[in-house]
Amino acid sequence: MGDLVSNLSLGFGVALTLQNLGLAFLGCLVGTLIGVLPGVGPIATIAMLLPITFGLDPTGALIMLAGIYYGAQYGGSTTAILVNIPGEATSVVTALDGHQMARQGRAGVALGIAAIGSFFAGTVATLVIAALGAPLTSLALIFGPTEYFSLMVMGLVFAVVLARGSILKAVAMILVGVLLSTVGTDLETGEERMTFGLPFLSDGIDFAVLAMGIFGIAEIMRNLDHTETRDVVRQAIGRLLPNRDDFKQSYKPILRGTFIGAALGILPGNGAVLGPFAAYTLEKKLAKDPRRFGRGAIEGVAGPESANNAGAQTSFIPLLTLGIPPNAVMALMVGAMTIHGIIPGPQVMTKNPTLFWGMIASMWVGNLMLLIINLPLVGMWVRLLKVPYRLLFPAILMFCCIGIYSINSLPTDVMFIAFFGLVGYMLIKFGFEPAPMLLGFVLGRLMEENLRRALIISRGSLETFIERPVSAGLLAVAVILLVIALLPSIRKGRDEVFTE
Amino acid sequence: MSTLHEDSGPAGPGGPVRAPQNVAGGLVLVALAALALWLTRDLDQGTLNSMGPAMLPRWLAIAVGLSGLALLAFAFIKQGDALERWNLRGPVFVIGGILAFALTIRPFSMGGFTTPGLGLLFAGPLAIIIGGYATPEVRLRDLVVLSLSLTPFCMVLFGDLLNLPIPVFPQALTGLFPPDWSQKAVLRATAAIMAVAALIVFFVTRGRRRGPVDVADHSGRI
Repeated sequence: MGDLVSNLSLGFGVALTLQNLGLAFLGCLVGTLIGVLPGVGPIATIAMLLPITFGLDPTGALIMLAGIYYGAQYGGSTTAILVNIPGEATSVVTALDGHQMARQGRAGVALGIAAIGSFFAGTVATLVIAALGAPLTSLALIFGPTEYFSLMVMGLVFAVVLARGSILKAVAMILVGVLLSTVGTDLETGEERMTFGLPFLSDGIDFAVLAMGIFGIAEIMRNLDHTETRDVVRQAIGRLLPNRDDFKQSYKPILRGTFIGAALGILPGNGAVLGPFAAYTLEKKLAKDPRRFGRGAIEGVAGPESANNAGAQTSFIPLLTLGIPPNAVMALMVGAMTIHGIIPGPQVMTKNPTLFWGMIASMWVGNLMLLIINLPLVGMWVRLLKVPYRLLFPAILMFCCIGIYSINSLPTDVMFIAFFGLVGYMLIKFGFEPAPMLLGFVLGRLMEENLRRALIISRGSLETFIERPVSAGLLAVAVILLVIALLPSIRKGRDEVFTE
Repeated sequence: MSTLHEDSGPAGPGGPVRAPQNVAGGLVLVALAALALWLTRDLDQGTLNSMGPAMLPRWLAIAVGLSGLALLAFAFIKQGDALERWNLRGPVFVIGGILAFALTIRPFSMGGFTTPGLGLLFAGPLAIIIGGYATPEVRLRDLVVLSLSLTPFCMVLFGDLLNLPIPVFPQALTGLFPPDWSQKAVLRATAAIMAVAALIVFFVTRGRRRGPVDVADHSGRI
């Protein structure tokens, strides 16, 4: 306990310097901006802004990038409540009851409770990270390559189970992602694999390029297919502070949402996306009168919003303690860390304690900033929503080009975002979800490395994965999950959760 | 997002194919697997004890191919979504805009032909204007104003403030300014000229195209 306090005070010492405060503020502001605007996600934005962080020290860079990520979660709910379009994928459920509240003239209360819930969840999640960081890191040190490989397999199975739509398609996407990660020079033998003899492919496909193509450019193409009318709420936003009754109704959902979100966020394989859905379903089940849901129930905003923010933050845990990115945003964080010469993993906490604890402390600071800056600025975000998409997307397009060019100064990188954009668009058209593919790509190289090492240690025997107890346990969890997801009755429930 | 499947009607198509979308998806996966197998044909697979470069890619390709086949098989058994309508305009112009940027940002040689390196000054507006035509609601005037104002903003932000190694303008441009001006001074002057031009275009052409189109603007369309 004493350790925790001293570590956190070290962290706050770092996070409260003027420069880091400024960077956290900038990150939160940019994050809220892109969260508010539908069609621009945190993945494309972080890839775009990666070059900007080259000139910063690593702690500042990560503080800013983290701010973008959880700022986007805040911003996404604003759009969901006011316009009924989820600004981010995780705020889909918030739109259900949040927008109804806005139609009843209670937009301010919905925004207020979302912000307060998120802040509470952020605070708890920060403490969870701080408390779990040290034990998990020591656990990671007893992990060998065998265990790492099994853990990543489990993460990928999670991603399959959590993906929307067909399980078969999700499995195929993961496999394609891992396959893509093997493009480039083989690290052990130095032989080129599947490069078509092209020199710029010999280092492999750049993750930022793939992510920006699939999540930035393809998203633009898809949005252009659907002409949607933005239905901005015209009623007055009303008072922002919830009253005593609102608090009474929502403090329990906030507590439950925080717990669910934080727990799911820790799971490798992007568990954070499930948090809001799970919280909403739970609140609906627990409610005395479930019919109120979908008609402006405040619990339907408070629970999912807290879960959303808690999950966004605890998803840093696998990255910071085990060095395994659980989702695409965290994979970009890995990119940002390696640029600065920091290898993510258990050694970060011992070798760079200021970075580790500074980043954790900055999350709390960032959450406080979001609470303070967001509510008064709601009017400004609403005005931003009136910028028509026909002007928005050419601007995004140019920023994407500039951002990706600045990373390596290669025109071929720019061409590749066009190529992957087209690939992503085709995938969407064929009903594939690109998110599992990106996760497969992210974990692919780590998996191959660990698989090789594990097999060298075991002298080529695959049994090592079931002989070692920890590895066997992880694989068993993966198999059980997959079987459960394939059971017809559970599948129906899963579809219901996602279509709600 | 929930709008993903709005084009697919509830009624399934006739014939033995029950899920056309999955047929297409399955074919893509099989083709991809075949490509990967062909590309790794000369590489050594090694043994489990010392894995060769081809071990993982080959087995992954086989797995991808198998899931493609499974998808194909299910397409004849289970009812599924129809293929969505394809809209060529969006992808063509978006890709066109990106390629224009890639080819003009700095000299790029393809075969015996080298494109001129025009820098951000031209590459940015090209990307915005060509890309902007991806939507049928395009208005050239708005795109010109947007490109004339965003480009100088990016020039100052990325080239001047952040010092990113991005070519900002063609070398020939420096000759137009007094020889003792530094690169940064030229950059700032160019940016200022563009910003002024944006304002001029904005105010001169304002009010020319007023009509029913403008009304829809305020509801904000995506």
